[in-house]
Amino acid sequence: MTQACLTPALRVAGLSKHFGTLEVLRDIAFDVAPGEIVALLGASGCGKSTLLDLIAGLQSPGKGEITLAGEPAAEFHRHSRLGYLFQEDRLLPWRTVQDNVALGLEPDALPRQERRRRANAALKAVGLSDFGDAWPHALSGGMRSRAALARTLVIGPDLLLMDEPFSKLDPQTRTQMHEELMRIQSGSGNTILFVTHDVEEAVVLADRVVLLKPRPGRIREIVPIDLPRPRAPTNPDVTETTRRLRLKVQQ
Amino acid sequence: MTRTTLTNPAPVRRAGLPAWTGLVLTRVLLALAFLALWVFAASRMPTFVLPGPAKVWNALVALTQTPSFLHDVGMTTYRVAAGFLLATLVGTPLGLALGSSRALAQVFEPLLAVMNTVSSAIWAVFAIIWFGISNATTIFVVFMTAMPLILTNVWQGARNVDKQWIDLARSLRFSRARILFRIHLPSILPYFFSGARLAFGFGWRVSLVAETLGSSDGIGYRLRQAADLVQTDQVFAWTLLLVALMLALEGGILKPLERHLFRWKPL
Repeated sequence: MTQACLTPALRVAGLSKHFGTLEVLRDIAFDVAPGEIVALLGASGCGKSTLLDLIAGLQSPGKGEITLAGEPAAEFHRHSRLGYLFQEDRLLPWRTVQDNVALGLEPDALPRQERRRRANAALKAVGLSDFGDAWPHALSGGMRSRAALARTLVIGPDLLLMDEPFSKLDPQTRTQMHEELMRIQSGSGNTILFVTHDVEEAVVLADRVVLLKPRPGRIREIVPIDLPRPRAPTNPDVTETTRRLRLKVQQ
Repeated sequence: MTRTTLTNPAPVRRAGLPAWTGLVLTRVLLALAFLALWVFAASRMPTFVLPGPAKVWNALVALTQTPSFLHDVGMTTYRVAAGFLLATLVGTPLGLALGSSRALAQVFEPLLAVMNTVSSAIWAVFAIIWFGISNATTIFVVFMTAMPLILTNVWQGARNVDKQWIDLARSLRFSRARILFRIHLPSILPYFFSGARLAFGFGWRVSLVAETLGSSDGIGYRLRQAADLVQTDQVFAWTLLLVALMLALEGGILKPLERHLFRWKPL
């Protein structure tokens, strides 16, 4: 138990990455504890998405170390999967919502029935129980986002990565998705690392915010957010924290 | 009633006959007009130039009762199906390969252009030189016509597979084979389908050309035989039969299949 608490869910140490001669990331180092929610906040061009892709193993590794649950990333990826919630919902149009959600379960040798059951449970968790048989094109933007979230959660990821996940939704639906995500997270205790350029989103969701500065991407500061949950964006403490954090970003 | 029609015509249209009856009506009218024109034209021309509908119908009925009828239709169908199947088996993997490698595509693109420009009649002549009077002649011509069509479409489909979906599959740790089957093939299917439909239609048409030149049975052979003997009513009867076959294929197999395969598409 103590061992598990001491081992961070994710540790990034001395990470640098070049694309050819272009330096994208320089000497990035931070930890994410199990069950913690951490935001990577910065303007575009500071390598946020590259950092996330490196952790997910979607990019060829750079210099430095990425450790997941105490294991080197490459080894971790061999037996475990991360949940990756993309900026777009990326639902496959030729699959029903339920089959889209079950997509992540396919590499596991599960009986069809069990896959169904888990997909339906995930759909229920995001409030889409009645839409399992619908085609993605019939869903609204918010519902598609929920379906994508269900697809990510269904594999029971130890670490959930999100790349500006709700940035394409209208503000109201976005707030709803934030509440939904926090409700699910408080139940399951998922560790979450997400990328955003929206200061308010970072304050509402994160326990800690990693502030990045651009060209090349470096860590400016790591800011803890000690506010009680749930955090409504209209709450005065939240707006004040957002304001102060925004000042730091603009420095 | 009149007032509603004037102010708001939409509900009246909905209250009347369903939309498809109008379509059926126009189609029937079209067919009748065509038939009338045919009867009129046939009445002013000698039978060996343009036989009337009644004579053609009789020829068609007589045709279906000849002992070789089923054999001829069967042989042509078999040759088209074989050529088409071979074209699919060769064209699909080649299209996938070209779509996945830019270097490969650059090397083979001119070859494709050549295959597309050579007329089917030329392939038929080559086929007779190489295969003589045999099934292989027609199958070869169908193959040479259908294969580039399927290849080109699959190739285009393979180039248009969304990288975002591949990244999604990679983030879920899908193997390369699984990505091929779960992402590539479903993305390419609409392209393949339109290519295959085109290829099949062309295949049918060129199979007749090939059969008139290089075979001793089949619909194309019978067509030429009828023409040589100036049995114009039989030529018309075969033509009618071919049209009917193609329509049956389209309405009975292709359309329902398409509707099923692409039921996920928004209307």
